[in-house]
Amino acid sequence: MRKRRLPLVALVLAVALFAAACGGSDNDNDEGTSGTGEGQTGGTLRVETDGFGWSNAFDPTGEYWGVAWSYYRNLLTRTLVTYRNTVGAPGNEVVPDLATDLGQVSDDGKTYTFTLKDGIKFGPPVSREITSKDIEYAFRRIATKSLVAQYAAYYTGTIEGLEVGAMPDHISGIETPDDKTIVFHLTKDTPDFLFRLAMPAAGPIPEEVGKCFTKPGEYGRYLISSGPYMIEGSKDLDISSCDSMKPLEGFNPDDHLYVERNPDYDPATDSKEDRANYFDEMTIDLNTNPKDIWNKIQAGELDAYTGSGTPPPDILKRYSTDSDLKDNLKVSPEDRTWYLTMNLGVAPFDDIHVRKAANLVMDKDSLRRAWGGEIAGDIATHLEPPSMTGGTPTAEEYDPYPSDNFAGDVDAAKEEMKQSKYDTDHDGMCDAPECKGVLTINRNVPPWTDMEPIVQQSLAKIGIEVDIREQTPDAAYTTIQTPAKNIPLGMNPGWGKDYSDPDTFVGFLFDGRNIAATGNYNYSLVGLTADKAKEVNFSPASGVNLGDIPSVDSDIDKCLDTAGDARNECWIALDKHLSEDVVPWVPYLWANVVTIISDAVTSWDYDQASGTTAWSKLAVDPSLQK
Amino acid sequence: MGETLLEVRDLKVHFDTPDGVVKAVDGVSFTVERGETLGVVGESGSGKSVTFLTAMGLINRKSAHVEGEILFQGRDLLQLPTDELRKIRGNYMGMVFQDPMTSLHPMYRVGDQIVEAIRAHEDVDKDKAMEQAIEMLDTVGIQQPDERARQYPHEYSGGMRQRAMIAMALSLNPHLLIADEPTTALDVTVQAQILELMDRLKSEFNVGVVLVTHDLGVVADVAQKVMVMYAGRQAELGPASKVFEQPLHPYTWGLLESIPHVDTKGTRLVPIEGSPPSLIHVPPGCAFHPRCPHRFEPCDKEVPDLKDRGGDHPDACHLSIEAKRTKWAEREARRRKATA
Amino acid sequence: MARYIARRLLWVVLVIFLITLITYFIFFKLPPTDPAVRFAGKAPTPEVIEEVKKSFGLDKPFYVQYGLFVKHLFLGDQYGWPGFGFSFNTRSPIKEVLFDRAFVTMQLALGAAVFWLVLGIPIGIISALKRGTKIDRAVMGFALFGVSAPVFWLGLMALFIFWQKLHIIPGSGYVPFSESPAGWFGHMLLPWIVLSLLFAAFYARMVRGTMIETLSEDYIRTARAKGLPERTVIRKHALRSSLTPVVTMFGMDFGTLLGGAIITESVFNLPGLGTYALRSAVEGDLPVILAVVTFAALAVTLLNLVVDITYAYLDPRVRYS
Repeated sequence: MRKRRLPLVALVLAVALFAAACGGSDNDNDEGTSGTGEGQTGGTLRVETDGFGWSNAFDPTGEYWGVAWSYYRNLLTRTLVTYRNTVGAPGNEVVPDLATDLGQVSDDGKTYTFTLKDGIKFGPPVSREITSKDIEYAFRRIATKSLVAQYAAYYTGTIEGLEVGAMPDHISGIETPDDKTIVFHLTKDTPDFLFRLAMPAAGPIPEEVGKCFTKPGEYGRYLISSGPYMIEGSKDLDISSCDSMKPLEGFNPDDHLYVERNPDYDPATDSKEDRANYFDEMTIDLNTNPKDIWNKIQAGELDAYTGSGTPPPDILKRYSTDSDLKDNLKVSPEDRTWYLTMNLGVAPFDDIHVRKAANLVMDKDSLRRAWGGEIAGDIATHLEPPSMTGGTPTAEEYDPYPSDNFAGDVDAAKEEMKQSKYDTDHDGMCDAPECKGVLTINRNVPPWTDMEPIVQQSLAKIGIEVDIREQTPDAAYTTIQTPAKNIPLGMNPGWGKDYSDPDTFVGFLFDGRNIAATGNYNYSLVGLTADKAKEVNFSPASGVNLGDIPSVDSDIDKCLDTAGDARNECWIALDKHLSEDVVPWVPYLWANVVTIISDAVTSWDYDQASGTTAWSKLAVDPSLQK
Repeated sequence: MGETLLEVRDLKVHFDTPDGVVKAVDGVSFTVERGETLGVVGESGSGKSVTFLTAMGLINRKSAHVEGEILFQGRDLLQLPTDELRKIRGNYMGMVFQDPMTSLHPMYRVGDQIVEAIRAHEDVDKDKAMEQAIEMLDTVGIQQPDERARQYPHEYSGGMRQRAMIAMALSLNPHLLIADEPTTALDVTVQAQILELMDRLKSEFNVGVVLVTHDLGVVADVAQKVMVMYAGRQAELGPASKVFEQPLHPYTWGLLESIPHVDTKGTRLVPIEGSPPSLIHVPPGCAFHPRCPHRFEPCDKEVPDLKDRGGDHPDACHLSIEAKRTKWAEREARRRKATA
Repeated sequence: MARYIARRLLWVVLVIFLITLITYFIFFKLPPTDPAVRFAGKAPTPEVIEEVKKSFGLDKPFYVQYGLFVKHLFLGDQYGWPGFGFSFNTRSPIKEVLFDRAFVTMQLALGAAVFWLVLGIPIGIISALKRGTKIDRAVMGFALFGVSAPVFWLGLMALFIFWQKLHIIPGSGYVPFSESPAGWFGHMLLPWIVLSLLFAAFYARMVRGTMIETLSEDYIRTARAKGLPERTVIRKHALRSSLTPVVTMFGMDFGTLLGGAIITESVFNLPGLGTYALRSAVEGDLPVILAVVTFAALAVTLLNLVVDITYAYLDPRVRYS
C-alpha cells in the first residue's frame, strides 16, 4: 500500500493560482481573507433565489445542479472525502471528511480502503452512527436504474460490478468488512477516483429511510443529514414506517429550503477550517423578482443571493465604485470556459486554417465587454481554465493566438486564411461560397445577443459572413447537440467542470467515442470516424473529408492512466495540442462568479469546487440585519 | 265643469344647447279641469311633451330656462322645492308614457313596481300595498291580476303593459292623469281599448286627464277640450266639438286632412307639406308660415298671439274669421269631391 | 334551470378537454427541446435520458400520455383526486402546490376585486351623475392613467416609493394570514392596490358609460314620475340596470385572475398560480403548465357559468331552459 498523492495541486501552486484567479481583474477584493477571519456564531443567514434549478429535486443520488452541490457539501451531506469550501486552488483540493484519511490505495491503484471516523452520526430522526453500509447503500442507489443517478457514469465501469439496473443487494467492487471500513475495488487505475468519491451521490444515506423512495427525486424531500446542518422539521419526521413519513416542512422544492443546526453533528469529527458553521439557521426562499432580491440585499433586508444570476449592471457599478460597498461585492473565479464552437465536419471550419484564422481575428476584448468587462472574468486564451491544471498556464503564459489587448490580429489572421482552400485567390479573405451565410446558433438572451455584432465584424475581416439564428438557451443547446443538423458555428456554449480534473473537461468533451446522435457534447465532432458518422446520422457535405478530422482519444486515455504531476502535465499538453493542432473552439472567457452580500455578513468565502458561495464559511451579525 | 286642477300661464321652456337656444315651449297658457280630458295635439317637436314633463318636474332644470307659472290646485309647481314636488308627483299627478315596452323597469315585477309607487307616498305595509296594486290591475282590466302582478314586464303584451302603466299612475288616486302618447306604440285595436279604459277611469275616479298625442283622430272621441301646438306655441285651443266642427288654424286643417276617416274611405290623405321647423331657428312671425298655403302679408313678420279672433274659441292665425271660414269650407268641399 | 346547468357543465368538461388537448399538444408534442433532457443533469447519457423519459411517462405514445392525463384528471392518480401528476422540477405531486398557490392567487384576486369594485363602481356612478363637471373630468383622468399605466411599472414604482423610500410597507413576498394577520395585510396591500388600479379604472369607465345610458332610459323617467326620491331612483332603478353588465365583466375578469396574475405576482413575489405557470414554462416543467392551464380554464369556464346563472336572476328577461 502507498498513500496516493493527489494529482492536482502542490500547495506551492495554490498561491500562484490564487493570485491568477483574482489578479485578472482590477478589483482589490480579497475573496480569501473574509473567510479566514473568525466569524460571529449564531443568527440566521437570510438568502433568496430567483429559481431553484433542481435536476433531480435535491435527491443526492441524481441531483446535478451545481448550486445544490454547495448545499450538500457545506451544510447537509458529508462524504468520505470532500473539499475545503474555500476559494481558489485550495478549494479544489480533496481532504478527508467522514474518512480518517484520503484512503489507502493499493500499488496497482485499483483498491481504495477507507476507515470511518468515530462519532459521525446521521441527524434526526435517524441519529445513529454512520456506517460503511450507509455509503455502500448510496452506491446501490446509484446502481438503481429507476432512481436515475444522473452522473452514474463516473462509477459504472470504474467500480467493479457496478452496473445500472435493478437495485443490487450488493456490489462486488464494494466491501464493508465492518462498520468502520469500506473497500472499493476498481476495474482499472483511476487517479481521479477521490474526486468522484467527493461527489454528493457518494454521501451516506440511511437505508431505513431511503428504501421508501423508489422514484427519482423523491428522497430529496426526506433528506437525512450527515452534515453540520439539517433540513428544518427533520426532528418531526416519523420514520416508523414508509407511510408515516411526510415531506420535511423545511424543504419545499417550489418555495424554500430552511436548514438549522444538526444536534447530532460533532464538530470534533470535522475541520473547523473547512466547515466553520457560524450561523444557527439559513433560510433560502424563492423570490420570483430577481431585481427585488438585489434590492433587498442592498437594503440589508437580505444577506445573500443563491442561484445562477448576476447583479444587474447598475448595482455592479455602484458596488465597484463606492468604497463603502466594495467589500460587499464578491468576485470569484469559476472553473468555466465560454467559447465559440466550430464544427470540424462542416465547411468552412473543416479547414484548420479557417479555424486558426477565426481564433486570430476574434476581438475577445469586446466580447468580454459585452459580458460586463473585467469583472466578468479573464479572457480565455486556451481551452481549460488554468485552475483545472494547477493554475497554469495562464493567459499571460500561453496564448497561441496572441494579439494586442486581445482585440484580434487581422494581419496574422489573413496570413493564416491565405493558406486555406476556401481562399482561392489567397488574399487573406475567404472567398468560397462556403464562407457566405455561415449558419451560427446563438442564445436569444444577453449577453449572447450583445456578442453578435462583435462576432459578425471580427469574422467579416477574413471574409466569413455569419448568419446568426437566435434560439432559447435550451433550444440552442439541443440544436448544436444534434450532429445531423450540420451546424458550422455555435456561439452559445460554455462548460464548467464537475470536479477539478480535466477528465470532466477536455477529457470528456473531445472524446470521439462519446459522439452521439442527440445530446452530443462534442459539438466540434473531434475524433469523428466514418463509422461514428453513420451511427449518429451525420452526413458531411461534399468536399469535407472525414479522414482529415483529428482524434485525441488516445491522448485522453493516456492522461486518464497517468497520476500525480505527470497527469497534470499530460492534460496541459492535451490542451495545447487541442488549441494549436485541432482548434475546435474560439475560447473567449474564463468566467467569474459575481455576487453581493449585505453588511450583516461578517465572514464570507467562495466554494471553488461547487462554483458558488461557501455557505459553511458565512457568518452574520444579527445586530446589523434589517 | 269642475274645479281647475292645472293652470299653466305663459310657460316658456328654453334649453341651452351647443347649437343655440332651443325654444321648446314658448309662451303657452291653458287650464285642465277635474273630470275633463284635454287633448294636446301636435307634431313631434311641437313642445307638447315638454310642457307636461315640465309640469311633472321631469326635465333637467339645470339645462333649461323655465318661465311662467304652472299652478296645480293653486300652488306654483315651478316654485316648489324638489321634495315637495316629488310628493305631488305620483300622488296627485300621475303620468303614463308613450312606450310601454321601455317605460317599465325590466328587472322588477310589475306588482312590485306599483307597490313601490304606492309606498313612496302612503305609509302602508307591503302586503297591503300589493293588495291595492292587484286591485288596480284588475280595475284596468288585467285578467288574473294576482298572478300577473308577480310577472315581469317582458311577460306582458304591449297593451297590457300600458294598462299596467295606467294602473300604476292611478294607484294613488291622483287628481290629474297625464298620458303622453299612450297609444302610439300600440296596435289599432289595443289603442281603442286603452282610450276607452282611460275614458272610463276618468269618470270612475273623477280625475282630470291630459292626453298628449300627435294624432288628432285619437282625441276626437275622448277629449272635451283640444289644444293644438306648433313649434312650441299654441295654434288653437277650444272645446273639442268646436275645434272639430270649425277649426280655425290652417295647421289644424292640415292635421284634420291627414287623419283617415271612416266616412272618407278612399280619400287620398293629404300630408302637410314641408317639415316642422328647427326650434333653434324658429321662422319669424307665424312659425307655421313657411308651410302655410294661405300665408299673406303679416304672417312672416308678426307673431300671432293666441286670442279670440272672432271665432268661437281662441286661435293664433292672422287670417280674418271670414277667410278662415271660407278657406276651410273650400278645403272640405275639395276633399269630399275627391272622395266622391 | 337544472337541465341548463347540466348542459353547461358538460360544455365545461368539453372545453377543459379541448384546452388541455391543445396545451398538451403544444407543450408535449411540439417543444424544440426534449423536456427529459432538461431534467437529466448536465451532460446526460442517452441511457439517463431514456430513464428520465420513462419516469416522466414521456416514453409512451402521445395518445396514451394524453389519455392517462385525462384519466388521472377525472379518476385521480397515485396522489389522489383530482390527479394532476407530479412536477418534473420537484418530483413532488402538483396538486397540493397547485391548491396552495391557487389559494394565494385567490387572496390576491379577491382583495384586488374588493378594491376595484369599491373604487371603480362609486367613481363611475359619481362621474356619471356629475357628468361634464370638474369632478367627472378629474375622475376620468385618473381612469385613463389607471388604464394606461403598465402593472409592472406601477408595481416597481409602488415598491420603490412605499418600501424602499418611505418604509411604510414591509416589501415583497407572502406572509400567510395564520402566521401574522398584520404581516399578511402589509404584504398584500400593495399588490391589491396595484392590481386593482387597472381594473378600477376600467370599471369606473364602464359604470359611468352604462349609468349615463341607463339614466336616459324611459323607466327611469317612470320611476321619477312615480314620485320616488332621487336616491331610490339611482340606487334601485338605475344601479340595478347599470351593474348587470358589471357582473358579467367581473365574473370573467375574476375568473381570468384566478388563473394567475403573472405580472403582479412576479413583481411582488407572491407564490401564486401566475408565477407558478411562468416558472414552469421557463423550466419546461410541463405537467405544472398543464395543471395550471387546466385549473385556469376550469376557473374561467365555471365562473362564466356562475355569471350566466347570476345574470338570469339579475335580469328576468334572460331565462335559460
